[in-house]
Order: sequence, then C-alpha cells, then structure tokens
Amino acid sequence: MAISTAPPAARPAGSASPGPASRRGRGGPRRRENIAGYVFLSPWLLGLMGITAIPMLLSLYLSFTNYDALTDLSAVEWIGFDNYRTMFTADPSFWHAVRVTVTFALVAVPLKLAAALGVALLLNRAFRGVGLFRGLFYLPSLLGGSVALAIVWVNMFNRDGAFNSLLGLFGITGAPWVNDPRWALETLMALAIWQFGAPMVIFLAGLKQIPVELYEAASVDGANAWRQFRAVTLPMLSPVIFFNLVLETINGFQGFTAAFVLSNGTGGPVDSTLMYTLNLYIKGFTELQMGYASAMAWVFLVAIALITVVLFSTGRFWVHYSDGEDR
Amino acid sequence: MHRAPSPRAVEPTTRHHRTAFSGPGLRRRLLAALVVIPLALTAAACGDDGGSEAAADPNKPVELSIFWWGAEGRAKLTEDALALYTKKHPNVTFKKTWQANQGYFDKLATLTAGGDAPDIFQIDDNYLTEYASRNVTLDLMSYKDSGKLDLSKFPESLWNYGVVEGKLAGVAFGENTQGLVFNKTLLDKFSLPAPTTGQSWEDHIAWAANVSKVAKVPGTQDPSADYKAFWVWLRQQGKDLYKDKALGFTEQDVAAWFTLWQGARSAGATPTPDVIHEGNVTDISKQLVVTGKAGTSWVWANQMPELKKNTKDELGVVAYPGDPSAQWARASMYFSVFRGTDNKDVAVDVINFLSNDPEAAKVLGTDRGLPSNLDIRKAVSDSVSDANMKQSIAVQTELGTKFGASPQVPLKGHSKVRSELIKAAEEVQFGRKSPADAAKAYFAACQAAIGA
Repeated sequence: MAISTAPPAARPAGSASPGPASRRGRGGPRRRENIAGYVFLSPWLLGLMGITAIPMLLSLYLSFTNYDALTDLSAVEWIGFDNYRTMFTADPSFWHAVRVTVTFALVAVPLKLAAALGVALLLNRAFRGVGLFRGLFYLPSLLGGSVALAIVWVNMFNRDGAFNSLLGLFGITGAPWVNDPRWALETLMALAIWQFGAPMVIFLAGLKQIPVELYEAASVDGANAWRQFRAVTLPMLSPVIFFNLVLETINGFQGFTAAFVLSNGTGGPVDSTLMYTLNLYIKGFTELQMGYASAMAWVFLVAIALITVVLFSTGRFWVHYSDGEDR
Repeated sequence: MHRAPSPRAVEPTTRHHRTAFSGPGLRRRLLAALVVIPLALTAAACGDDGGSEAAADPNKPVELSIFWWGAEGRAKLTEDALALYTKKHPNVTFKKTWQANQGYFDKLATLTAGGDAPDIFQIDDNYLTEYASRNVTLDLMSYKDSGKLDLSKFPESLWNYGVVEGKLAGVAFGENTQGLVFNKTLLDKFSLPAPTTGQSWEDHIAWAANVSKVAKVPGTQDPSADYKAFWVWLRQQGKDLYKDKALGFTEQDVAAWFTLWQGARSAGATPTPDVIHEGNVTDISKQLVVTGKAGTSWVWANQMPELKKNTKDELGVVAYPGDPSAQWARASMYFSVFRGTDNKDVAVDVINFLSNDPEAAKVLGTDRGLPSNLDIRKAVSDSVSDANMKQSIAVQTELGTKFGASPQVPLKGHSKVRSELIKAAEEVQFGRKSPADAAKAYFAACQAAIGA
C-alpha cells in the first residue's frame, strides 16, 4: 500500500520545484551520507520515539491527570500537582516503598560489588580450569532477571526449602525466610548479591588492564599482598569500580522481578518487599491509578538522576584515571 | 573499510549512487515513504472500525477475541464449548487467550488502556464496577429486553448482580457461594469429626484446635486476611462490607474480627503466620488444604473439583461457620462485552449461546459455578458424574435454600479493600500490630480506597 502511493506523492513535488531540489543536490556527498545515515538509523529512531520518547512524554502529561487506564485518554482530567502532593504528603505506601528500596540498594549494592571484586581477584590467576570457573560464576547473572530463578529462590528459602534443610544438618532451625516479613527483603538482597557475574566480568577485564610492572615495582619495594591491593589494585581499578557502582546502584533501585515473583505481585509479607517499582506497578495496574503511577515514575527518574549526579561528584575524590597526568 | 578515508575512493561510489537513484529524488522518495507508511498503517487500523455491519451479512467471517482466567481444565472446557459455536456458525472463529487468575486483571487493564480489550472477557465482582462505571463494558440491557440475550431462566437476583448503575455490565456466568473445604482423608485417619454447616465460629476454632492437637496438622487456615470470610462474618453481625457508597462496617468490627483469629492462633487452631501467608493467595494449587499444611481452606464452593486435582486426599465442603443465611448466591464471574468491539451482536450471541445452549452447558459443567440457567442447572446436576462436582453441587443446592439476600455489587476500589485486609491481618499475625491498631489502619485505608 505504502509502495503504491509513494511515487505519485514524490513525483509532483519533484517536478513542481526542480530548482531548489538541484541546489540541495549540490550539498555534496557528505550531506547525502548524512541522509543515508539517518535512513539507516530510522528503525532505531522510530523505536526510540515510539517505545521510549513519546510514551515518556505522554507519561509526564499523564502524571498531572487522574488517568485510570480504563477511561479513554481523551477524557482524562488535568489535576495539576495533586498526584505529586498526594505522594509526598498523604500516601504512606510511597514513603514505605522508598525506605524499602533505599535499604535494599544500600545493602545489596556494596555487598554485590564486594563479592564481584573478591571473586574477580580469585579468578584473575592462571590455574587449570579458570575459564570454567569464570563461566560458572557468571552463569547466575545470565539467568538475571528471569522469573524462573526467582521461583527457584522462593522454593529454596521457604520454611521447608533446601536452605533450611542445609541448616538442619547443623542442627539450626531456619526461619521461613521468604514468608517472614523480617527476612523477606534480606532474601531478595541475597538473590541480588548472588547475581554478581556481570560486575565480576567487568572487574576481571579491569584487573587485566593493570600493568604487571606496577606489582613488580611494589614487591621490589617490599609491599605485601594487602599493601599491593590497596596501593596498586584499588587505585588502578577505581574507574572500573566507579563504573560498576553507578550501574549497579541504578540497577539496585530498579529491582522489580524478584520482588514481584516472591510476593505474588503484592509486595508482601506485610509490605516488606514493596520495592518502589513494584509499588508503582501496583498503583498503576492493580489499583488503576495510572496518572499517579506516572507521577511516581517521574519522581523516580529524577531521584535516580540525582543519585547518579551525587555519585559522579564524589568520583572526583576517589576515582583515579591513569591518563589524568597527561591531560 | 580501510579505503573510506581516501576521498578518491569515496567519490566514484557516490557518483554511482547519484546516477542510479538520482540523488535528490531518492531523498524525496524516502521522505514520502516515511510519511506514507504511518498514514497507511493508520488507514488500515481505521479500516476495522467500519466493520460493524455483521448484521448485514450474517456469513461474513468474524474473529472474536475472548479472554478468561482459570486453570487448564477450564481452558479445555471453554475451547470445546466455543468449538460448538463455530460448528453452528462456521463464519465465527475465536482468538482464545487464558491465564491464571494471578495477573489476569493487570493484563486486562493493560489491554483496555491500549484500546485493545478482548471482544469478550471474563470478569468478577471484584472489578465489575471498575469496568462498568468507566464504560468499558457494553450495556447489555437492550439485548436482554429484545430477547437476543435470554436471561429469562436465570434467577432474578443472579442476573441483577451484573447490574451496575442501571447498566447490565456482565452476564452472570455461574453461581457460587463461600465454601469451607476440608481434608476428609486426614480427619478420617484420626477418626476426627468433619466440620458442619451451621457450627459457630467458636466451635469451628475449638474443632480446629483439636485437629491440630490430634493430627499434628493445623486444623484450619486463618481466614482473617480473607475478605469473603470477613464479609460473611460481618453479615452475621448484621453488617455488610458496603452500604450504598460507603463501608458497611466499623473499625471496631475489624478489631473484633482480628481478635477472634488472634485467639484462634494462640489456641493452636491455625498454622504459623508464614504458612498462613502462603495460603493468602488466590492460586488454587497453593491452598493449604491441598498442600497439606492445614485441615481446611476458605474458598468458593465451585472450586472444589479444581482443588481436588491438586491433592490425592479426599475433600469435603461445608458452609462457612455461623448462620449460613449470611451467605448468598453470588455470581461467581461474568462474561462482559467490550464496548469498543466491532461485532457487538455476535459477541452477545456467543454469550447467549454459552449460557443457554444445552449442549454447550453440558460441556462447561459446573466449572464456573452452578449454571445460571436453572433448566440447564437441573440437567447438569442430574447428569454429572464427577464425584467432587456432585458434592459441590449438592452443598450449593442445599445452601441455596438457606441463602439470604445478595449484597450490592462491590464498589470501585474493592480490590484495594481486599489487598489492604491481607496486609492488616498479616500485621496482626506476625505480631507487628495489635488488632486495634491494625483495624484502625485498615479502616482508614478502605475509606481512602473507596473515596469516602
């Protein structure tokens, strides 16, 4: 259909104004290359516009309305900043979810990075089968956001799950982890930490970049392993640490799948796993307050942007770029 | 690749392009295509809208999308019944989608928001008002009046339970009522008595405590988080969940309800809070009576056969404790038609067929509840062979003689009223709040939810 209508649409335009067309034609090969570039980009651009940019802008508009998903978009009412006001002053679940999410990120992200770095250091040596081990440690994060993994996790960590059987061998009676509001969030954290493969691989790559001479020089100067780690490895690795920190922090705040699966989409038991994104989902899709959920999404976006800015500004004090002196 | 920096290498290539596609023309044409493609797509999308002339040509091929929740068993029955319709009307085919109850309404809301709601969808009283008051559902009243949708064999109160704000928003597709399902095998093994219809709540708790003691399995699931148990209990106190546009109960009622079950827990009648939590989901396969973690579960009576599929043990079903006249004939679910469908008449005719055709009804059985059409209900009850279905029919028929008046269809915000009850009850179960504090928080949350 498009093909049959295209030429007639183009032809009259071309014949009506040959002058400007030929002038533009003189724009040269560079210009035409640009156009070709945009044409080749267009699938991606269309995706960006259609799937990201336009829906985002629409959600910004909706955040100022009482849109409820079921009513037609044309019938929504503009309610100004009401959604934002409710969120900050009259919705206890909002602040509760913020607390849960911040706790989650504060604990899970550093521990995950520490685990990733620790294992990366171990695997940064040459020994038989190191490739296999790298693969095995990376495996959990390949299964990453998968629902299946979260289901396995739930079954491992309920009252009669594998984890408690293991504890039982040592005569310890475990808690009903995932079904206990005191432990449910910690169980989620453990799942997140366990999936340290992605930052680990990046750390490994970073470790390989550190010149061996530095270690040789350090050991000639009599530095022991710990000293070498502190004085050589950490500073040389700091850009990679920084990169992983920023990435994992953002990831940590966005945790959704595991919490959703573990709590059957409720954030339970007793809201203990009510992550920000899960709360947003419940508000939008279960309670049909899509306008309010849009407002929550924008607050979230701004908050994550702020956190990232803060991370970047602290980076100045501890991130060491080895090419810094050259600049 | 390495030749790119050399200008001489680039030039011939571009010149070649110019001759082949005549440079500016190419851009023009691509631009035009870019403009035209979306237009064409829109045109195609608009094309559908004009297609509601099914009445003009009865043999025009029609594909209806239909969406329901349920387990595999229901899917099989429904698909078979729809196949019967296609056999009689070869021009009508179905695009069938089904999934578990969990997440069903999220998906339905998403489809609706996208303007892509299924032509026919299953819905229950938890959401009927939400959808009806926002005009997502087609008002079926005129079809009922013209006889195209024949509800004459339905009990009056049952089809009326699909009326929201004067509009017939859904066709009651089965009748059910609250049912307390117990593990008969377990009780028999320890020569324990079965619970009975009409026992008081205190008797039931004492009975359950005894079961825990003798059988070493918690006697009853703690239903304090279960809105339908709370609802029945409220009605026995002369209250209700909703009254007109407000709540039909007070904060004190909630506190008394929580205290009742706090007592049951300390008497050892119920499982530990984490196990109660496991059972506080709608998933049939996770009900404690089938996972063997409690002697009873609080469900809908028509769910008995489906529960049975998840356990080897024999099950029995009775009414919830207290006066059974607090229970009512509830429309277990409805079929509604999307107001934006292109094939309104056909969609209504399909629902009419599923409700009233003897052959289709035979296929569907009591999976969605007792058939709404009383003639068909009788025929199905007489011919049913499945022992569990038989028992569930017998109990519902027996209770049918004792039912009280139906309550009003739940208000907008009902799903929040339900989820908040789970939260509040669990706060008490895990010992984080006193019944009074939890009741206070719950009452406030409910009022906010229904916008009172």
